[in-house]
Amino acid sequence: MAEMADLSDERWKETPGQESAPPEGLARIGQKPQTIARDESSNPYFRIISKDVREYHFIVPSEEVVELGEIFSIRDGRREAEITFLARITDILHDSNYDGNWDTVIRGDGFYDSDQIFCRVVAEPLGCVVRDEGGERFRKARTIPAKFSPVTRADKEEFRFLGEVMGDIEVGRLRNGSRDVEEIPVALHSDAMDHHMGVFATTGMGKSNFMKVFAASCMKKASSKESKFGLLIVDPHGEYIFGSKGTKGLLHLDRYRDGIVCYSTDKRHQKDLAVSELTINKSEIRPQDIEILYDWTSAQSQALETISRVFSGEHWLDEILTPEGTAKMIAENYQKDTIGKINRTLKNILDSNQYISDITSSIPGIISNLLDGKVVLVDIPTLGERSELFLLSLLSRHILYRYKWESYERSRGKRCLITVEEAQRVLGGGEGSLARFESIAREGRKFGVGLCAITQQPKLIDKQLLSQFNTFVILGLADRNDRTRLEESAKQDLSTLDVEIQTLEKGEAIISTLKIPFPVPASIHLYETYLERLNREGPSEGRGRMGGFNPPPD
Amino acid sequence: MKIVHMADSHLGFSAYGRVDRWGRNLREEMIYRGFKETVDKIIDLSPDAVVHAGDVFHHVRPRIRPLYVFQQNLVRLVEAGIQVVIISGNHDAPKSYASLSPFSLFEGMEGVHIAHHYRYEPFEVGDCTFNCIPFCLAPEDYLEEFRKMQERRAEISGGKDILVMHGLVEALWDRRLRTVGEHQLKESFLKSDFSYIALGHYHGQARVAKNGWYSGSVEYFRFNEAKDEKGFLFVDLDTDPCSVKQIRIQDEYMIDLDPIDCGGLSSREVEEGISAVCQRRGIKEKIVRLRLTDLSREAYRSLSRRIVGELRAEALHLEIIPEFSDEPALRETEPVRAEDLPQEFETFVEGEAAGGSIPPAIREEVLGYGTDLLARISARRRTERFDAPQ
Repeated sequence: MAEMADLSDERWKETPGQESAPPEGLARIGQKPQTIARDESSNPYFRIISKDVREYHFIVPSEEVVELGEIFSIRDGRREAEITFLARITDILHDSNYDGNWDTVIRGDGFYDSDQIFCRVVAEPLGCVVRDEGGERFRKARTIPAKFSPVTRADKEEFRFLGEVMGDIEVGRLRNGSRDVEEIPVALHSDAMDHHMGVFATTGMGKSNFMKVFAASCMKKASSKESKFGLLIVDPHGEYIFGSKGTKGLLHLDRYRDGIVCYSTDKRHQKDLAVSELTINKSEIRPQDIEILYDWTSAQSQALETISRVFSGEHWLDEILTPEGTAKMIAENYQKDTIGKINRTLKNILDSNQYISDITSSIPGIISNLLDGKVVLVDIPTLGERSELFLLSLLSRHILYRYKWESYERSRGKRCLITVEEAQRVLGGGEGSLARFESIAREGRKFGVGLCAITQQPKLIDKQLLSQFNTFVILGLADRNDRTRLEESAKQDLSTLDVEIQTLEKGEAIISTLKIPFPVPASIHLYETYLERLNREGPSEGRGRMGGFNPPPD
Repeated sequence: MKIVHMADSHLGFSAYGRVDRWGRNLREEMIYRGFKETVDKIIDLSPDAVVHAGDVFHHVRPRIRPLYVFQQNLVRLVEAGIQVVIISGNHDAPKSYASLSPFSLFEGMEGVHIAHHYRYEPFEVGDCTFNCIPFCLAPEDYLEEFRKMQERRAEISGGKDILVMHGLVEALWDRRLRTVGEHQLKESFLKSDFSYIALGHYHGQARVAKNGWYSGSVEYFRFNEAKDEKGFLFVDLDTDPCSVKQIRIQDEYMIDLDPIDCGGLSSREVEEGISAVCQRRGIKEKIVRLRLTDLSREAYRSLSRRIVGELRAEALHLEIIPEFSDEPALRETEPVRAEDLPQEFETFVEGEAAGGSIPPAIREEVLGYGTDLLARISARRRTERFDAPQ
């Protein structure tokens, strides 16, 4: 039941001699309107009626449309400093000033006063913006706004402080309900990227679009040499490089092409000037990289572990496939069948992964570009899931090793973020050969290596591992268990956003990250639109080439 | 068609201050001799063409002696009926459009094709096109020149197709020399549809693609090259894939000896250790570096000047590096040279900017101003040096 206005409050009394029209949406009691002085600067406005520091209630007329997730501002003029509380709608209820079951009659109308029915809006406090001589700052709210403080939809002025706490990797615009606040970009912090990022969404909610927007912003930073981390994307679907099904790819971002390097197994893609042929040198492969590809018996697993001891050199792959190599393994008391199975599998791997070479390797170039802060796209559209995992595992091992070494030498370049699609495959916890990713999740930050885990099923990711993630990008999850897992692991309270996450539409997101004081509702840029905008940007300000001089004529 | 692929001759490089009886720098003369022997060997092999993938000269403004040596040997190749294709590298290309390249002196010579105008130039030799992209002033220029080349290649079909470039591919970026104008070459330039890719700048022989090689230099220039393969490459383009033979000209003459652990050794024992290791390896007329680790200062002070002096006289250059037990080991670094300062400065500014000491808004301004200042100071110093009587 809504609480009635305190009529003894001076602010609620009419100005003598003036008969102001009752504001739209305010309750009438009988024929005598009870009004308060209207704040013309905020229209439409409502009033806080309850409840406590964790939950605010205000009422809005039945005909007023408000939405979950909308952010409202509440002005509190009791103090010297101007304080504006911000609150996000978490629930909307039908309510009225009548008691009982008055509205359940079957027939008849016009027997109740429509001003006495309304919606009760429940909102969670986000914090407050304090404006005083020291300027404008945001802090958590330790009190509640005065009763009947005016409530209005927050506008760009109220969100201005967010512009100052946003990061440098733009991904979208602030969203207030279904409306975008065009003036307030939502941007992630580069500094938070080695604290791992999770991108969670069910199919079709815009994961790929988000990743392309994110990568495009990284390309822009890398192009202007302001990038603080390198981004590795291994794309098994071939959708990032030139797009697919009518969408655009990262190489369509001509303006910032120098911020990306691409390696591909696809001959058609290799024709592009920015695309190199992907090669991995045999000598860079270790038995543990092979181990993840298949389910091995206990004896086969042991034999794989023994290989490193029996063949000490980099040429173990060639040696073990010779009769002498097989004999060496049999001498270690392994069955001929066991070694035969391993050898057949190795031959299959070498035959089916044409990018494995005797001569060259892309890995040094990949790592060099990551250290340089560029986006590195490894495009493997023709390979299967096993090959993708194999490659990802191999690259991650080399990257982690190199970053550890750089850390030891104190000569670390830019940090690195490794993207893992369908991350539940490798971050499920427990024992296994994919523990490499888990170790990156646990200790990668020490060496500047972060994971960007993309998944439809966060519930399958180990809870402890998920708690290492400091940035969540949630693009809509229908499964309650998925949402619960995220709520349990997030660094910010997402429990009140459960319904909103459930009702997110394609392209809408909730972003919870370090340095931004509350989970931010965002409207992720549509990549194609963002691409057009970036491609239109003028040349970056930098050193003029040779002071603007031209080559002399021959 | 057979070609010789060579690079990084660095004519005019001198070091160590040892001179012959005419007062000429021994190291410099050694490099001229090596260049002549290389040309002798090429004439013996009689290829259809020689491609030099950059850094013929060590300096942008070479003195008369390296110019003369180069001209003499160039004439020998031409007279032997061998076509010569050359591109400018980061050492011998002027860093402004206003200066004239030393290669201007050799333009128009019959049988000699030189790309040194900071842009893509194709040269037809027999049924082969040499697609040359010389040193460019800005790193981003390579992509544009490469694009032009690809457009031209798309219009022309048939014949062999060779790419010639100077710079360090991304995969070898860890081995960068940190010299002025050292540019990174994208691995995406190493397209598999070239008959052969001839690269210069990296001083060791290295295969960086199925069809792409660094020929390496004939000579050694720094101790970190001591283990590199040296020489030039003899390439037969008529086989598929083309066959590449590594040809060595010089014996190994730069030796980076394994360090001697001097912990607890007296000066006499250290002397014996130095003599033994030098004798075992043979240092006569070689360039040798030896590190003495965990050495006490007393032992170092008492080392016999005579013994060390004799060894130094035997070698072309003997560098003994003491690492004292009472101080932390210094990181192995190459001495910073004036030419490296802009690169050093850029690295420094980027590091400071990343750490937040330099706001992004003024980073480029700081970099531009500082680099310009360093360039002006270096130019003035260089002019003073060149103007001094020799």
